[in-house]
Amino acid sequence: MKWARGILALLVLAAGALWWVAGFDDGPALRFEDARARLVPGDGPMAGYLVVANHSGGLVRLVGARSEAFERVMIHRTEVVDGRARMQHQAGGVAISPGGRVEFRPGDLHLMLIGRKSELQIGDPVEVELEFEGLEPATWPVTFTVVPVTAQ
Amino acid sequence: MIRAILIVASMLLLAACGDRSWHGKDISHLMPRLEFELLSEHGQPVTEEIFAGRPLAIYFGFTHCPDICPMTLAKLAAAARRLPEDQRERLQLAFVSVDPDRDGPERLAEYTAAFSDRMLGLTGTQRQLQALTRRYRVTYGYEPPDEDGNYEVSHSSAIWVFNADLGAELMLFDDLSIEQMRNDLERLLADR
Repeated sequence: MKWARGILALLVLAAGALWWVAGFDDGPALRFEDARARLVPGDGPMAGYLVVANHSGGLVRLVGARSEAFERVMIHRTEVVDGRARMQHQAGGVAISPGGRVEFRPGDLHLMLIGRKSELQIGDPVEVELEFEGLEPATWPVTFTVVPVTAQ
Repeated sequence: MIRAILIVASMLLLAACGDRSWHGKDISHLMPRLEFELLSEHGQPVTEEIFAGRPLAIYFGFTHCPDICPMTLAKLAAAARRLPEDQRERLQLAFVSVDPDRDGPERLAEYTAAFSDRMLGLTGTQRQLQALTRRYRVTYGYEPPDEDGNYEVSHSSAIWVFNADLGAELMLFDDLSIEQMRNDLERLLADR
């Protein structure tokens, strides 16, 4: 039975090694999902939504955003207090803990895309540069897709 | 012990069946019949009488609102589309802009068309808007403009639903799901 014990030990070692290697995250420090911008009719501001996942191992903070397609991009949060909605500029940015994710979603956090420089159509890509504190590089490009105003 | 749990559970179930609770808020005994003088997206002065005879859902907002207004209007339009056909054809939708300086008839028409061909855009003078909003305890206010002259408008974020006689019935809040809104609308439209 010695050989069986040997194989078992090898298997345990191999599993341990696999588990250890799997712990390494070779991917990017930040991952972005479902980046989309709601096409509001007219020339008024639009809202951008996405999920930001932090794989950097440290606390990061989204502190700003800009886009060639818009005059200005601001980080806002819609707050409803006593049935009354208002938008709050997130002057201090948005912190994302190590291993955490923050969802920018309707009725909550969003990027306010102000001053369209040209007409946009559903399906158009919009390049937005997100600026972070707490990691290098600080600037991360994200492609948003223009979605209908009725998108949920 | 088990018997006690069963008794309590059946009492709770009975209570739930007896209570015709809504996802939204019943305002039928709290708010008065609809009444207003406003300007329509066609540039015509109109009163509540244009909606008489069919149920109506109204949302108050402004077109420079990128997040909660489109979100809530999109939910309302989607809920209305999921109604049974006869109800869908009866329900009228309206968007009242509380930002008349920026939301003229043409802009309102373009905005409402993006959500539903059954949605009518309305606005008015501050006096007209205040008369309507005070009637339903809707609040709105303008934030100070930024360096480019852009300003935010804070506003009540619910939908007010009226019956075919223009009596107030329900408030649907922005955090309800499409399905919850549809349930309330379907029940209301079936009842009356």
